[in-house]
Amino acid sequence: MAAPDLVDPKSATHSSKPRRSFSAKSITLSPTEECQAIATVMKWKTVSAIFLLVVLYLVVGAAVFKALEQPHESAQRLAILTQKLDFLSTHSCVNHSQLEELVKQVVSAIRSGVNPAGTLTNHSSLWDLSSSFFFAGTVITTIGFGNISPHTEGGRIFCIIYALLGIPLFGFLLAGVGDQLGTIFGKATARVEKMFVQWDVSQTKIRVLSTVLFILFGCLLFVALPAAIFKHIEGWSALESLYFVVITLTTIGFGDFVAGGSEIEYLDYYKPVVWFWILVGLAYFAAVLSMIGDWLRVISKKTKEEVGEIRAHAAEWTANVSAEFKETRRRLSVEVYDKFQRAASIKSKMSSELGLNSDPELTPPKRKMSVNFTNELDREKEPVSPPVTNKNGSPFLNGKGVDPKRGDIAITPQVEVTTFNL
Amino acid sequence: MSSWYKSWILLTGFILFYVAYLLFGAFVFSTIERPVEDKLKRDIQVLKEEFLNQSCVNATSLENFLERVLQANKYGISILPNSSASSNWDLASSLFFANTLVTTVGYGHTTPLSDTGKAFSIFYALLGVPFTMLVLTACVQRLMHLVTYGPISMCRQKIGLEPLAATAVHFAILLLVVVLGFFVVPAVVFSYIEDTWSFLDAIYFCFITLCTIGLGDYVPGEKPGQNFRSLYKISVMVYLFVGLMMMYLVLRAFHRMADLHGLTSFFQLPHCDEDIEEDKEPIIEAGHEDQHEAEDSAKPLDPASQTSYNTINR
Repeated sequence: MAAPDLVDPKSATHSSKPRRSFSAKSITLSPTEECQAIATVMKWKTVSAIFLLVVLYLVVGAAVFKALEQPHESAQRLAILTQKLDFLSTHSCVNHSQLEELVKQVVSAIRSGVNPAGTLTNHSSLWDLSSSFFFAGTVITTIGFGNISPHTEGGRIFCIIYALLGIPLFGFLLAGVGDQLGTIFGKATARVEKMFVQWDVSQTKIRVLSTVLFILFGCLLFVALPAAIFKHIEGWSALESLYFVVITLTTIGFGDFVAGGSEIEYLDYYKPVVWFWILVGLAYFAAVLSMIGDWLRVISKKTKEEVGEIRAHAAEWTANVSAEFKETRRRLSVEVYDKFQRAASIKSKMSSELGLNSDPELTPPKRKMSVNFTNELDREKEPVSPPVTNKNGSPFLNGKGVDPKRGDIAITPQVEVTTFNL
Repeated sequence: MSSWYKSWILLTGFILFYVAYLLFGAFVFSTIERPVEDKLKRDIQVLKEEFLNQSCVNATSLENFLERVLQANKYGISILPNSSASSNWDLASSLFFANTLVTTVGYGHTTPLSDTGKAFSIFYALLGVPFTMLVLTACVQRLMHLVTYGPISMCRQKIGLEPLAATAVHFAILLLVVVLGFFVVPAVVFSYIEDTWSFLDAIYFCFITLCTIGLGDYVPGEKPGQNFRSLYKISVMVYLFVGLMMMYLVLRAFHRMADLHGLTSFFQLPHCDEDIEEDKEPIIEAGHEDQHEAEDSAKPLDPASQTSYNTINR
């Protein structure tokens, strides 16, 4: 016979369940127990995916740097070797080893920050108070230019201890400055938003506009303006000044360009102003970079959500398809069963007319079921009434007497029950 | 209004204290380093004079020559004979460079020479730095569950310590493990591989690198004729990454500990930002957490409230 799922009224409700639950899962984000387990597993996957992405990013960067820089480097190397040979040939009394000895000493002196080129008498020290102040600043902000670095053992040990205490200290300071910047910015945007609300502009547009304004204004104040000043004072090109600003404010700090590091006569207040600019600029850059980080996070979240939605849709689609398949199967089997029933009833009627005993006790229970399902479908078209059994196609049932009627009465409550369930 | 006023006062106090700290550092550095520098200056002057005396070279041509040599040296090119034939920009070294760029260490021993290289570095850094921060904080958040919450709850259940004491003990142990595993052991390895480095130099290098200061006076793998140079540089990269992660972990554990002991609210500093959904096992029961969440919501705008640039929590 058609499977137990036909008999069991619960199965009727089972088919509709998947539809509801999958759409619910894609909307709500409440962490239930199983959601949590799934979420933590997915997060490790996300982390490893992001990690692989970073490695890929690094490799791509390496390849690009190699392609850009290696030719230039070879050219430089060639140039300096030619220089050396020229020098040696012009000044024949100097031999190879002497020259190399000199160069080695000079290079290590440079590493220690002493520039032997030019006269050394009026050369200012790298460790006078203002330069040491600047160095201490570069250590604490973790920029670490490296044009000045301690060479004594005592200096290095002190540097370690100094940094251990100073970096968190600077971190708190940066947080404080950043907070103040944020408050000022928040108040400014609130005023701007009030203005725009009068003009009936939507909230999201205002937010986007204020972010853009923040970035532009900050760039102007902390990047473009200082770059122009450096270009003028230090004599760098525009690109080099911009490069210096970005490398400093992201605390990378290569040290190939350092404001206040060349031989020029600087104004007295130049270095402290530079230091103050670094402090505020770092706070601004922290804000910008965390914004970029947030965007990346939002993008990854959106991608995850979209992937999750696609998965949910796919699952929903499969559930629908299987439910419909079940439904069709059920209808088919019901029709088959119904025809069989009609045949059986015709046969019993004919046999009763012929005087043979039919067994109405056997059929009623099953008839109940069949009538249930067909009646359920017909219920939608016609109002409930006992004559509905006419639809079965056997007018004989009505005229048959008590038995069908008994079956009739017994049937209707069950029909109601199933429709209620569905 | 008074709390806003108070925060301004605290901030000015902080700035003044910070300036005083810098001045103190400047004074100490100056006293320690200046005599050494003077001596070196005198030595190099003597060397130059000796060289000029015994040769037919005149001062100006020597100056020119030295200037060119130093210019080349700034870009990492040496004219000394046993300088490595290997380039500073082969794939492994470029990878190392990209890594120092992206983790903001920035040694500076090799820097982009061409204009295009400089422009590319700007964009690469602007995108790569937040990217790296994102990865590191994501990893650290997952690690926190393993390393911090698990052992602490275990500590409390088995040994039955007070929650505050448990966090303090755990933090001390974590600090010890990190110092041993990421400073002492690598320093021994480095001092063994790099024959010009002493143990102190190696520890100094590890510290300067893992704090992302990156002065650049010591860079591993720059010795001419280094065996397995590419492999060495790549393993240093891995060390840098993992070490940075551990430093953030320690910092975060410290921040949480300070939160719990009430230090951050005393100084009106930003609290440890933790995503509420991900924080499944708080160190202390829900009472404390609710308090912190309420205070969290009172913070001003998001983009500006970070502990430090290097520890972007969110």
